[in-house]
Amino acid sequence: MNDELAWILQAQQGNDEAFTKLVEEHQTHVYNLCYRMLGEPEAAEDAAQETFLRAYQNLHRYDQTRSFATWLLSIGAHYCIDRLRRRKLSVFSMDEENDDGTSFEIRDTASPDPEVESVKREDRDRLHILLKDLDETDRAAIIMRYWYDFSEIEIADSLNLTVSAVKSRLHRARRALAGMWQEDEPRSPRARTERRKVYESPAF
Amino acid sequence: MNHQPFEEWLLNEKLISPRERLDLDAHLRICSYCSALVETGKALRTVKKVSPTAGFSTRFQARLALQKAAERRRKRWGSILFTFGGLVMLVWLLGPYLASFFAAPATWIAAVVEWAIFVITTVQAMAQAGSVLLHMLPGFFTPFAFMVLISAFAGVGLLWSVSIWRFVRVPRGV
Repeated sequence: MNDELAWILQAQQGNDEAFTKLVEEHQTHVYNLCYRMLGEPEAAEDAAQETFLRAYQNLHRYDQTRSFATWLLSIGAHYCIDRLRRRKLSVFSMDEENDDGTSFEIRDTASPDPEVESVKREDRDRLHILLKDLDETDRAAIIMRYWYDFSEIEIADSLNLTVSAVKSRLHRARRALAGMWQEDEPRSPRARTERRKVYESPAF
Repeated sequence: MNHQPFEEWLLNEKLISPRERLDLDAHLRICSYCSALVETGKALRTVKKVSPTAGFSTRFQARLALQKAAERRRKRWGSILFTFGGLVMLVWLLGPYLASFFAAPATWIAAVVEWAIFVITTVQAMAQAGSVLLHMLPGFFTPFAFMVLISAFAGVGLLWSVSIWRFVRVPRGV
């Protein structure tokens, strides 16, 4: 029996320490999903905490034949989708929430070239902003596919969709992202040349 | 511009032959949309995971403790209200009999017998009314109308069962 399963069984019997170990093990996965879905750190923290709380309350329903990470991310994705739908109904604007644009910071120490790194970081920032314009379920599908390497079957299982619906949503989201990316393309020729250099480099 | 088959290759992340690779490269040089598809795909693949700030599990434990305390409070108030409501209901139902309970045994026995006679006569009256209805109804309704009526009842029963099943089933993903 692996450690995770042992912790799950102990947590199911009411051992809070075992559940804390599960939280520590999966906090980055869950937080990252919530952050990509909701777009801001405070909301992501709250959503990730809520995800673990729901998992704790429904631990007796967890099916041990499924991956625990997949089950957790499924709860997180459903919670974030509901939250985004509620947010849509309110007058709150997502852009106003994060208009300083300073909350997103990624460092890649493996890359030695600061210029290449700068272009990559700029692209990640752009992508993070463009993700907000996707439909909630499409966004969840894209995040699960590209951040977590979920198969289409796993995404379908997590989001209660059919495999063909997942495929169609992924394609639609990729097309939408490409369309927005094209519109949002940096105007300066230097920036475009730098970007081309980055994507033509052997690193890709 | 025609993006096929390049768009399909890119969206499905198809493994392509060297010949197809040359065709794709030539297309990407002139097609900004397919280039954007490549760039977004690569950007999606290279974005790193972000972690929560330190102390996430400690904050979770605090939130869990708060949640448990709120749950305990809710349960305590719920049981107080339930018990109090039950007592009020009991007193209200037994009120008329309490007076006779404290009265002489003969009065108490008379009240119980009176109540039993009332129940028995009510059941008899209902049985008679039912029997009269069963004899009269076939004269008003044709067998076809009976079939429709029974099917409608069965349909309503099925709808009710399905609704209950949908309501109580465990949602997926939880």
